Amino acid sequence: MRPHLPAARQQLEARRHSTLLALVALMSLVGVSLSSSTAVAAAPSLAIVSPADGALIANGTPVLVDFRVSNFVFVQPGRVGQIVLPNEGHANVFLDVQYVRLLTAVEPFSLSLTSGAHTIRIQLVADNGTPLNPDVSASVGVVATHGPQGGVPRVMILSPTPLEATGHGIYVSYRIENFTLVEPRGQPNAPNEGHVQLLVGTDVVMEVIQYEPVLLVSLPEGDITIGVRLVNNDDTVLANPSASATVPIHVVASSAVSLPLVSNGGVALLLAFILIVLILRRRKLAARDANARGGNP
Amino acid sequence: MRALVFVLAGALVALVLGLSAPGVRAAGPTLTILSPADHAVIGNGTPVPVIFVVSDFNLTPPGTGGPGSSATEGHVNAYVDGVLSVATSHQTIMLPLASGTYTILLQLVTDNGTSLNPDVTSSISVTVTQGPAVGTPRIEISYVEITYPTPGLVLGRDVTISFRITDFALVPPGRGEPVPNEGHVAVFLDGVYYMSVMAFRPIPFSDLVDGDHTVMVRLVDDAGQALTPDVSDSVTFRIQFAAIVDINPYLSITQIVLAGAIFVVLFYRHGGGNVLKTLSARFGGKNS
Repeated sequence: MRPHLPAARQQLEARRHSTLLALVALMSLVGVSLSSSTAVAAAPSLAIVSPADGALIANGTPVLVDFRVSNFVFVQPGRVGQIVLPNEGHANVFLDVQYVRLLTAVEPFSLSLTSGAHTIRIQLVADNGTPLNPDVSASVGVVATHGPQGGVPRVMILSPTPLEATGHGIYVSYRIENFTLVEPRGQPNAPNEGHVQLLVGTDVVMEVIQYEPVLLVSLPEGDITIGVRLVNNDDTVLANPSASATVPIHVVASSAVSLPLVSNGGVALLLAFILIVLILRRRKLAARDANARGGNP
Repeated sequence: MRALVFVLAGALVALVLGLSAPGVRAAGPTLTILSPADHAVIGNGTPVPVIFVVSDFNLTPPGTGGPGSSATEGHVNAYVDGVLSVATSHQTIMLPLASGTYTILLQLVTDNGTSLNPDVTSSISVTVTQGPAVGTPRIEISYVEITYPTPGLVLGRDVTISFRITDFALVPPGRGEPVPNEGHVAVFLDGVYYMSVMAFRPIPFSDLVDGDHTVMVRLVDDAGQALTPDVSDSVTFRIQFAAIVDINPYLSITQIVLAGAIFVVLFYRHGGGNVLKTLSARFGGKNS
């Protein structure tokens, strides 16, 4: 049995005991805090689900980017009383080198793309915008086009028809399939988009982005070939054989000029023929009369 | 001993708080636009992505703040040239804008839409163009129809010129103030303004007179002013119209002559000569 101590000493012992307990508790708390802050948490990861790498984004539509994140919590940066924890922050999105999005939620987002190849990169960052260490990012390459998703580009000449006789000017009409005409202005090439070149023989005479008939003027006379071909934005010809078409035609002078010429010339020739016949007949008759006079003097 | 314990405990508490909350910031909400940079040019007519961050402010979707409006909670109002365009809690705002220069102002507001006290705003100026954001505009005449069979010689009165442009967008004039890499093509024939071209298409010239002609194409801004430095190209060609000689008048005269000759032949053949002798004898008798 514990001997009785004086009251003051008992009080002092009690205080010392409680202080020690508090100190131990505090040390335990610090220890827990320190150990938890240095614990090796699972590393954050990031993956782009769609589009697939190398995907073709057709018809000039925006691309919808879907991604997944693990071991990382998205939070709004700069919130009141913010306590930054590891594996917590937001994401930055870059289109090529341009900063285009700040994401605070794992939700699909869309991006408008110009024609050509692009790289979409998502990067996880801490609350203050600095990249994680090690860096956690994912990127995907896509190709955007105003053209259709698939199909073989094709052009067919509807008019003129082969060996058609025409004047110096003619409308050339054609039909284009699986190819979208866009204004060339130095943009990169993209699948199934470009413009049209018209040729006379082997010479390119016109470039257009219209589906309507095109008027070719001042065509040289004779047998010539009209050509229509699909080309890329940089004027390179598509390798696909069906992306070009030709038609032989015959260019003749205008009938408005030639018809009166033929009729007048014909009449003149007829008159000349009649005159010659009359003169010859008159000479023949004169010779016959002379013979008759010589035989019967 | 007691004092030492309290000092130690205080130091540890401070240490714990310091380790666990290194990101605590100074009071007072702030707003910063990260992108685009001030005076940036947004190309290809794409929407302007405005990215911003806040501090000491909780972003909540408009209308979700409950009855009491907190001064540290709310959303962002985006103004374009003073007009409210978007109220959002997302930290990326997509603003589809036509060509031109705009002032974009973001303002932190409480959930009921009232501005903070003091007001917290941030603004930038951006220029939107249908052309590329960067690049040097160029134009070149690519084809002259018809340079056949001799280059530079056009055997006709109608000519079509094709051109090619780079790093420049063709748009109809009158859309507003000039913006970079956007405008139309001014066409000059023999130094005289001929027409404007606002789309990629061949330029037709009709009924040109014989001789040398010079066509110049120049990139101009929305107001029709030449770019600085000037961006143009020109081509000279000769019109030599191979006119068909109209011999119809000569043929008509030939027909009349031939018809007259036929008449004369027929006249003499059917006794016309005797009639003529009789007539001449009678005239001669009267005169004698």
